Amino acid sequence: MDSLHLVHVKLLAADLLSLASRHTSPPSFARCGRTVARAEVVGVVVSRDRREKFLRFLVDDGTGCVPCILWLNHQYLNANDSSSRASDSDPTAEMALKMSELVSLGTLLRVRGRIVLYRGAIQIAVRDVVLEKDPNVEVLHWLQCVHMAKECYDLQPPSA
Amino acid sequence: MSPSVLQPGVPATLQELEPSSEMFRQGASLRVTGMLQSYDLSSAIAVIQDGGASLKVDTQHLRDINFRTNSTYQFIGELLIKPDNDVYHSPYKFIIIFDMTLEDATTNFLLTSLQAILQARIGRNVDGIDLNLYQQSLLIRRQYEAQLRSRRA
Repeated sequence: MDSLHLVHVKLLAADLLSLASRHTSPPSFARCGRTVARAEVVGVVVSRDRREKFLRFLVDDGTGCVPCILWLNHQYLNANDSSSRASDSDPTAEMALKMSELVSLGTLLRVRGRIVLYRGAIQIAVRDVVLEKDPNVEVLHWLQCVHMAKECYDLQPPSA
Repeated sequence: MSPSVLQPGVPATLQELEPSSEMFRQGASLRVTGMLQSYDLSSAIAVIQDGGASLKVDTQHLRDINFRTNSTYQFIGELLIKPDNDVYHSPYKFIIIFDMTLEDATTNFLLTSLQAILQARIGRNVDGIDLNLYQQSLLIRRQYEAQLRSRRA
């Protein structure tokens, strides 16, 4: 089985936003015939829209702007869960809140998450956000994307 | 600005922003990087330079950014191209070089008398960036982007 769908695939925005969407439920995505489920992008935050239940932001890497959504409504989900008390502190919710504070205009971020479709457009449902303080990290990401595409993602998986 | 209409700031070197370049067009969304040469507080105009080329950047829409000369900054925004009034008012700028037709000289005059300014919507300090590595990697990235485009076509 092709293991590419198990990892966060390092992609440039132009590459990510041109993935082929398969009409499955939930939708899946393919790059050169290989299934891609998770992605990692690095870029500058150029738009930020904070709501009560989510934070939506755009990451611009110069090849495209990747829409990202960070859900902040874990407490609502847990409130419906009878196995946990609402008063318990939820580490997932805390982490999401902390990550949302990293997202501000002009910061360089590494974003990992699931690739999802929203109103027919690709976006990332954020799993984690890392604030990158070294500007050279972005250049390294570009080169890793190009290298990985040539050496791995463009190749057909070995047949079982 | 609605996120759905936001164009990516395509990285460009300052040397590439000359009138004959395809990146030199009105409203082009660009990402530029350079060392801060000067900053005018009253107009919020910054001038960055790299490799002998310089560019004016209008920073009036930026918040939470401190400007220090000789620090390196990166800006994302839209290019505004307008006639350079200094050139139009100077009688000495219209020069016909030997063997140049009048038509070529006029075109040359019109091109060289354009002034570009980046209307920045994003700005950040990038002190420590290896600009040489950045520019070399940009070339590799552009080749890859061209491959992606041809694959899709």
